[in-house]
Amino acid sequence: MSAAIDIVAVTKTYDGRTRAVDAVDMAIREGEFFSLLGPSGCGKTTTLRMIAGFETPTEGTIAVGGADVTHVPAHKRDMGMVFQNYALFPHRSVGENVGFGLRMRGMDRAMIARKVTDALAQVELVGYEDRRPGQLSGGQQQRVALARAIVIEPRVLLCDEPLGALDKKLRQSMQFELKQLQRKLGLTMVFVTHDQEEALAMSDRIAVMNAGKVEQIGTPSEIYDRPGTRFVADFIGDTNLFRGEVIRTGGTCVLRVDSDLSIELAEEPGTIGPLSVALRPEKIVLTAPGAHAGQGLDGIVESANFQGGSVLYRIEAAGRRLLAQQPNNGSHELFQAGAAVALRWTPSDIVILKD
Amino acid sequence: MTSAPFSLRFGRFCYLAFNVGVVVFLLAPIAIVFVFALNPTPYIQFPPVGVSMRWFEKFFASRDFMNALWFSLEVAVLTTVAATLFGASAALALARGRLPGSRAITAIMLSPLMLPAILTGLALFQTYVLLDVGRPTWGLVLGHTIVSIPYVVRTTLAVLHNFDTRLEEAAQNLGAGALRTYFEVTLPLTKPGVMAGAVFAFIVSFDQFPISLFLVSPGHETLPITLFNYLKFDLDGTIGAASVVSIVLAVLVVVGLDRTVGLRSYAEL
Ligand SMILES: Nc1ncnc2c1ncn2[C@@H]1O[C@H](COP(=O)(O)OP(=O)(O)O)[C@@H](O)[C@H]1O
Ligand SMILES: [Mg+2]
Repeated sequence: MSAAIDIVAVTKTYDGRTRAVDAVDMAIREGEFFSLLGPSGCGKTTTLRMIAGFETPTEGTIAVGGADVTHVPAHKRDMGMVFQNYALFPHRSVGENVGFGLRMRGMDRAMIARKVTDALAQVELVGYEDRRPGQLSGGQQQRVALARAIVIEPRVLLCDEPLGALDKKLRQSMQFELKQLQRKLGLTMVFVTHDQEEALAMSDRIAVMNAGKVEQIGTPSEIYDRPGTRFVADFIGDTNLFRGEVIRTGGTCVLRVDSDLSIELAEEPGTIGPLSVALRPEKIVLTAPGAHAGQGLDGIVESANFQGGSVLYRIEAAGRRLLAQQPNNGSHELFQAGAAVALRWTPSDIVILKD
Repeated sequence: MTSAPFSLRFGRFCYLAFNVGVVVFLLAPIAIVFVFALNPTPYIQFPPVGVSMRWFEKFFASRDFMNALWFSLEVAVLTTVAATLFGASAALALARGRLPGSRAITAIMLSPLMLPAILTGLALFQTYVLLDVGRPTWGLVLGHTIVSIPYVVRTTLAVLHNFDTRLEEAAQNLGAGALRTYFEVTLPLTKPGVMAGAVFAFIVSFDQFPISLFLVSPGHETLPITLFNYLKFDLDGTIGAASVVSIVLAVLVVVGLDRTVGLRSYAEL
């Protein structure tokens, strides 16, 4: 049966000084697809390894299904894990690899054989029982690793960048299949990735990590549309970041970036003093220069990068370079490099960030 | 145009000649031993005058040689078991145990390789005299084991260093405790290294001379010592026959281990 995971105030240091994981709190719900996302070295693997029981937290507790497992050894945790390089046993056949966990649980041979066949069917590898892992392609090894992890009907499935070694096309189809399988089995999934597109596409919720700390936890759309911190806004997708002083001019709140640029804010920032805000490129509307209403700037197109479904513009405006993205759906005028344009946006698309 | 293929051919010829030279150099002693063992004259003669089994008959008929051969085998088997058990577990502890000073310990474990064996033999001899234990078989086995352990440690460490510890973690994750993980994953995958070490241990013990020189008790000697004593008075083909038997036994041990437990790695599978 799937279980919730509660990580409370967990810190891990390997050398006693630097904190690989720093006072992390996460409440992962039962049956949830939960991703740990962040740049290399931010502590994702360490967090996952503490959940699996390969590392012990220096401080804090980890509970699974309400029971504290902080000091329970890995082999008693009943969790499935798909390792970054799959970690298939090279001296055992595919069937023996998949059946390993069942054999450790003392299940009889006939039952193991049946469950192994079922699990291999789940990952579409029927008939591969007698091959050696070394005789399989990367994608097939990945499926064997997945079958080996789910056949024990784990309370939690842990994945450390499981798709990282696959080429792009295969990765996309595996993303889809993995998500389907997780839904079908109702598994609680903790999924480590440094690929933001992968995290956004697959997750129910994402924890964005940076330097051992959790920056933000939220659904993909919360993370993308309402980034909480400057780091999250910068790390996830393309974004325009502005930094300035908040001033109030007759009822409206304005961020004064410099003498050329002031940005109207839709909401009152809680703090005073310097402040960062973000504006996504696709929230900017480009039109031919002229009478433009509301918030906006005039600029010159520096380059237009045609991306098929959309066009990404680099625009020189107010002494800085901004990114703007327009859908290529016929409703927007397309501009060439060197064209003069007007940029417009609505104040509610400006997201106020914590540093 | 014409010189390029020639220099290429010449290069290939030199390369081939060099390799043949190396192989001949390595095999020549063995060939000489065989010629010596099969030649009927009671002294070393070249070219040989014929083929006979008389030296083999003499060797196998000699009680001294037979006792020495069986004693050597007994010591070699005991040494192999002891050195392999100790060396393989020591290597595992050194590679995995996060021991303080593991580098220093590794160096100490390998040090008998650097020390002349005759010094190790002398040191053990003096120790046994001090302890007043006489010259028991276990003392001899202990001496052989000390000089065999470095080979087992070395070959096992080599495999362990290239060993992906995530395989052990995968086993634990699937419910295997420490002991099961060792027997299901670590041992099978490090077996080629352990077995290579065991083969070395067997050969080091079976051919051991300097250590045995100090530690055997008179009248109860290993084959190399008996051969040495025989050589002092007679130099006939029996020495050659004994050497051939030793070589064949060593080959049988290697082939036997390969057939039963396997020396090859799984990497190629
Ligand atoms: N076994 C270890 N010993 C010492 N430091 C480690 C160990 N594992 C990870 N670290 C350090 O902890 C930090 C976080 O690493 P990790 O959790 O692997 O990050 P990520 O998976 O996000 O790339 C890094 O600075 C890394 O160097
Ligand atoms: Mg990692």
